[in-house]
Amino acid sequence: MSKLFKKTLLLIIILFMIIAFTIAISTGWNLYNDLLQEYKSKGTAIAKSVASSSIETLLNRDASTIQAMIDRFLEISGVSYIFVVDANGDIISHTFIPTIPDEISKIKNDKPRDTYVKEIVFEGLGTFIDITSPILEGIAGYVHVGMDKNNIMAQMKSAMIRQLILISLIFIFSITIAYILVNKVSQPLNALTDYAKKLTLHDFSSPVDIKSDDEIGLLANTMKSMATDLHEVFDRYEQAINDAIVELQNTLAYLTAVIDNMADGLLVTDTDGVITHVNPALSYMFNMRESDFIGRNCRSIFGDNFAEVVEKSRMNADQIFTTEIELAHKRIGKAVATGIHKETIQSDDKGIGAVILIRDITSEKEVDRMKTDFISTVSHELRTPLTSVRGFTEIIKKRLEEDIFPNVTNDNKRVLKSISRIRDNINIILSESERLTALINDVLDISKLEAGRIDWKLENVRPADAIEQAIIATSALFEQKKLLLIKDIEENLPEIICDKDRIIQVIINLLSNAVKFTDTGSVTCKAKKLDNSILVSVSDTGIGISETEKDHVFEKFRQAGDTLTDKPTGTGLGLSICKQIIEHYGGKIWVESELGKGSTFYFTLPLKNINDVSNINKMEYNYTEKE
Amino acid sequence: MKRILIVDDDPIIRNLLEQILEPFEEKNVEILTAENGLVALDIIREKQPELIFLDVMMPKMNGFEVCQKIKSEPPEKIPYIVILTAKGQEADREKAKASGADFYITKPFNINDLLNKVSEILQIKLD
Ligand SMILES: Nc1ncnc2c1ncn2[C@@H]1O[C@H](COP(=O)(O)OP(=O)(O)OP(=O)(O)O)[C@@H](O)[C@H]1O
Ligand SMILES: [Mg+2]
Repeated sequence: MSKLFKKTLLLIIILFMIIAFTIAISTGWNLYNDLLQEYKSKGTAIAKSVASSSIETLLNRDASTIQAMIDRFLEISGVSYIFVVDANGDIISHTFIPTIPDEISKIKNDKPRDTYVKEIVFEGLGTFIDITSPILEGIAGYVHVGMDKNNIMAQMKSAMIRQLILISLIFIFSITIAYILVNKVSQPLNALTDYAKKLTLHDFSSPVDIKSDDEIGLLANTMKSMATDLHEVFDRYEQAINDAIVELQNTLAYLTAVIDNMADGLLVTDTDGVITHVNPALSYMFNMRESDFIGRNCRSIFGDNFAEVVEKSRMNADQIFTTEIELAHKRIGKAVATGIHKETIQSDDKGIGAVILIRDITSEKEVDRMKTDFISTVSHELRTPLTSVRGFTEIIKKRLEEDIFPNVTNDNKRVLKSISRIRDNINIILSESERLTALINDVLDISKLEAGRIDWKLENVRPADAIEQAIIATSALFEQKKLLLIKDIEENLPEIICDKDRIIQVIINLLSNAVKFTDTGSVTCKAKKLDNSILVSVSDTGIGISETEKDHVFEKFRQAGDTLTDKPTGTGLGLSICKQIIEHYGGKIWVESELGKGSTFYFTLPLKNINDVSNINKMEYNYTEKE
Repeated sequence: MKRILIVDDDPIIRNLLEQILEPFEEKNVEILTAENGLVALDIIREKQPELIFLDVMMPKMNGFEVCQKIKSEPPEKIPYIVILTAKGQEADREKAKASGADFYITKPFNINDLLNKVSEILQIKLD
């Protein structure tokens, strides 16, 4: 039974009870009044007829006739008693059996002038309606007729009960019919409700059997087609979700495998520097268990320096920070930290964490150290014999010039020719040993630059001073080739922060190249300020460089022209060294040239280069300084 | 009589320097040689040279150590110390300065430059 029906039923029952009782009570009341009226008139009629027919008998004092008369009246329903009193109040005859009740004495002396009705209660017998009628206006006495009021009550009660029973029967009957009717209407609704309930639980396969073609049937059909659609959509989504989950799991498994199999240690921290992820390589490097890392702040495990680097990397998107870190078993690691930033990078983006890769660089450092040692050793081993060769050659030259040649007799042509040859040869040995020295210096510079073993001094350098010093250093070359040097240096150039010796080295290289590859004409050195940098150029009127060679002159050991036929003029390292130096400071170096007309080499140095030197360079710089 | 001490483990370099400095022998300068730091320290104590040429890479005791030793236990006559090095690294120049050397020459060197430097230190003019 539906809830709604139950509620309505309860209400109806209550209402019904109220109505039923009201009707019963009013019916009872009406019946009571009617009966009372009937009894009274009946009693009055009896009393009057007794009174009228008793006059003579009373006057005759014929009690037995009266007795017979009243006994007859007693048979009328409702009549309980009749008694007759004379004018003195003495009871002449009565119908009381076995005795006259005491209460009668109270009323037997009533002397109304007309018929009088009054209620009287007999103890143990109930209430009676006493009707008093005077006989001959009281001169002959009075007749009292008692009507039983209890009878009225009993009749009333039974009438009421009958009515209640009847109404109840009708009610039950109508309720049953109503229930059957309601049920018939609500049964398909209930079925539909059940169906809807199942749908909400995603049970799309359960059947619903409503075939009526009223609104409910329509609704049922609509719901059915909706369910099929939903079923399809759900199926599709479920499939899609399952596919996505599988794909995600595969990707995750793949990524985890990649991370877990990395040779480098991986460490991930959150915004507070708390470690959220490590890979097995990292645990191995520090000889700790994974659980020893997770949830702890990296500062407490790796120290302040490391934590600072991690924090810096998190705060600066697009920048990489490195530091060295001690690993277990006396090994050394290099940590590279990068901030984790969401795709939408805002300027105030603080990053949601940092990823740190740690590589064991113990052997690299060892190799590095060996490389440095090797460079020093080779340098030493090459320079020492070179020193002897050059030194002794100079001594021989001196001794020959000072002691031997002046004392040789000049007349022998052969001897003179020999002397001239010896002179030439010794000069060749000297210049060749000089070339060898230059080569060794260049090779050393290059290998030091490449190994990051250069101590870059940071000082304020006035570009004009650096150029001036380079010009002084190359003045001898200009004199030798009788070339003109033109200077065009802007006044009040701002200072740059860099290593002065290195910048001079670059300018010397460019100037000596210009002289080397120019036979006639001039060399011009210019310097001016651009927006954020200083531009220096060295141009000559020499042989120039072809388009194809232009791209290669900055490479190591690269020389323009055919090295087989053209006599090599150097080692081909000069420009490569220049390039490395300029690029270290974030500047650029390039050449513009026309074959046969001359070349111009340009380089720029950024003005705020101290800030722009990349962080990695800075770290390495620090690191070399520490050694 | 002035004295110059040449400290180098390489006999050829010792020989070379001896020959380069020959012109000073005529000016009454004694040329002394030592093949390692320990011998050098003995000679310094005994002969009190004015000028010392000190090689860096030597067995037993390197040039810087010898230099430090001289500076920490100075002899009566404080010598002028010239470090000779083939290393040619900037760091060496700093180390030379730190160990108390007065001058620094990289190998290979120019003979005339060397001779000029010596006559400046010893205040002896060559003709
Ligand atoms: N001003 C110039 N005019 C023409 N060619 C030039 C000029 N400067 C450089 N080159 C070409 O570029 C090549 C590379 O120059 P680089 O300075 O690197 O080497 P190098 O001068 O030959 O030797 P070194 O190492 O002694 O400087 C030169 O050999 C030359 O062919
Ligand atoms: Mg060059």
